[in-house]
Amino acid sequence: MAARRALAAYLFLLPALALLGVFTFYPVVFGTALSLFDYDVISPPRFVGAAHFRELWTDRYFWIALRNSLVYLAVVPALQLGAIVLALWVRRPLRGIGWFRAAYYLPVVTSMVVAGLLWRWLYDESGLVNYVLLRLRMIHAPVHWLSDPSLALYAVMAVTLWKGLGYYMVIYLAGLEAIPPVYEEAAALDGAGAAARLFRVTIPLLRPSILLASTLSAIAALRVFEEMYVMTGGGPVYSTYTLFYYMFDQAFNALHLGYAAAVGVVLAAVTIGLSVVNFRLLRQGGLSYY
Amino acid sequence: MRRSLIAAAIALLVGAGAAAAAPQTSIEFWTISLQPFFTAYVQRLIDTYERAHPGVRVRWIDVQPQAIDQKLLAAIAGGVAPDVVNLNTEGTIRMAEVHALVDMDAAVPAAARGRYFPNIWASTRLDGRAYGIPWYVVPDVLAYNRALFRRAGLDPARPPATEDAFVRAAVAIKQRTGAYGFMPNVDNIRMLKRFQEDGLPILSADRKRAVFDSPAHVALLARYVALYKEGMFPDDTLRRGYLGATERYAAGQLAMLVTGPQFLLRVRSDSPGVYQDTLVAPAPLGRAHVLDLPTMDLAVPLASRHRREAVEFALFVTNDENQLAFSHLVVIFPSTRKAAADPYFTRAGTNPEDRARVIAARELGIARDLSVVVPHSDELFRIFREAVESAFYGRMTPQRALAWAAGEWNTRLR
Repeated sequence: MAARRALAAYLFLLPALALLGVFTFYPVVFGTALSLFDYDVISPPRFVGAAHFRELWTDRYFWIALRNSLVYLAVVPALQLGAIVLALWVRRPLRGIGWFRAAYYLPVVTSMVVAGLLWRWLYDESGLVNYVLLRLRMIHAPVHWLSDPSLALYAVMAVTLWKGLGYYMVIYLAGLEAIPPVYEEAAALDGAGAAARLFRVTIPLLRPSILLASTLSAIAALRVFEEMYVMTGGGPVYSTYTLFYYMFDQAFNALHLGYAAAVGVVLAAVTIGLSVVNFRLLRQGGLSYY
Repeated sequence: MRRSLIAAAIALLVGAGAAAAAPQTSIEFWTISLQPFFTAYVQRLIDTYERAHPGVRVRWIDVQPQAIDQKLLAAIAGGVAPDVVNLNTEGTIRMAEVHALVDMDAAVPAAARGRYFPNIWASTRLDGRAYGIPWYVVPDVLAYNRALFRRAGLDPARPPATEDAFVRAAVAIKQRTGAYGFMPNVDNIRMLKRFQEDGLPILSADRKRAVFDSPAHVALLARYVALYKEGMFPDDTLRRGYLGATERYAAGQLAMLVTGPQFLLRVRSDSPGVYQDTLVAPAPLGRAHVLDLPTMDLAVPLASRHRREAVEFALFVTNDENQLAFSHLVVIFPSTRKAAADPYFTRAGTNPEDRARVIAARELGIARDLSVVVPHSDELFRIFREAVESAFYGRMTPQRALAWAAGEWNTRLR
């Protein structure tokens, strides 16, 4: 009987496993193996061992891209903080709150190309962002948001933040809904103020959601590409050139597919490393907190 | 009588059977962004070819310019390579570098090669072999907004003829109207072409050394850097290139646009008002009096299963008659000598496109493809782009930027 139940379970898993196998596991294995080969699509692959990884070590653009990708991670805490605040805000039983929730979620379902074009206009020298800041006398001359090498990466990060807020808001909303109200009520009865209830009760109970959202967000931040592709082309002076962009460039512009795969392996290693750290830091919490 | 009837019937049947079993060769033809404007033209080409070659079927696929490299690679990797593919010079060279294309010097008979302008035929040469059959060429012209010219106190009847006058006019327009005068072609690696337009070489004669760090090169780059710092051209010039310039021009926010005449179509459809105010003149010339001549080629991947038919079809598409017909639809120029000699290219008209055609036809004599062909082009171009942008954004002086890039090139060229 137990064997039959297990078999049924495995059968249910099979379709998803087959899809994962074809579209995830196979590419992962193939891509990792490819990093050990010289391959340009046209000629047969040639085994080069760890040569690509040695080359990466002295590759100026790899380090530029890695640095930018790591800086980009700064978007993660900002995004989580913003999403938690937003989730707390839209959780309140106000009239028409559904509309607010939908509005905050709208950027998530907007195509990145459309959003990128939109923000390119907003950031333009004579665009809305500069106009508003000038009118508020916060700046004296238009800021070149996407053309200033020291600003461009942060300007693009702001777009990621804007686009991602709604997505993580939904995760936190679900997390908040899952917290039984008795904990807050008990804390209130014990005389805890609003701030104490938030920081001593709600946030600790929300930690599983924070772990999930920040891990997803960190992975997404390391893989950022479309924003740059649409808005900056990796420039100015490679200030928005990320690891994923470099991988794309190496694969499809330079036709160094093996080398691109090596960049991909490094990207995967960084992502895994970061996820492990994330889990270590945030594993505690949730209902087990008590 | 009866026997001969049977024989005739058998002969007919055998004949019909043979015709039905005639080997059908299907060739795939990729173009860049020709739909929907030129769908009828290309379809007519294909129909004519198929009628003349009953054993050949042509399957046409139109691809967006941004996607063609990736799609081509994916198709080759997947074993479904197209047979004839439209690429620009850079694309052809890039694919030739990885030995993906048929050597056209070998595949095309000398008599057929002789029909093309030799300089255009040579534009896709890598290590002495040409890898594309030239299709059409598009020399730049100067489109300018006469209303902005008038507002700046400039005479629309006397557009700038030289690069120096072009810059002077642009500065005057910006200072007097607040609108930008120009967006110079200095983005990405286009400074390599600007250098050549001023007679400044990129490589030494033996092509083993980069020589773009001379004081003359530095002075030219420094001039544009100074103009940028003075706000004489928009901050997105380096980021957006000719697309940004075309958009800005169409929005009436840019007075002068050096561009391929085919972009006038876009201005016409996007903003009829600006189009009304558009005049066309020859592209301003640098000191070397040479113009860049971007070329579209037809290449045949080595992975094609029907190389002979593919080359034949590419020669058909680019023959005199077909190129001439194409040139009647849009301001482009044939790569074959006979078609280019047609009186059509010297007949002046009244609208901006007709004027552009006559002007560009005159420019053909001083135009050549200025694309720089170097090994490891992706790496060298990435370095060059970084150097130029570093100079513009104040991370390096123009002198240091070019010296650094030349040094990096030299270590890779040796």
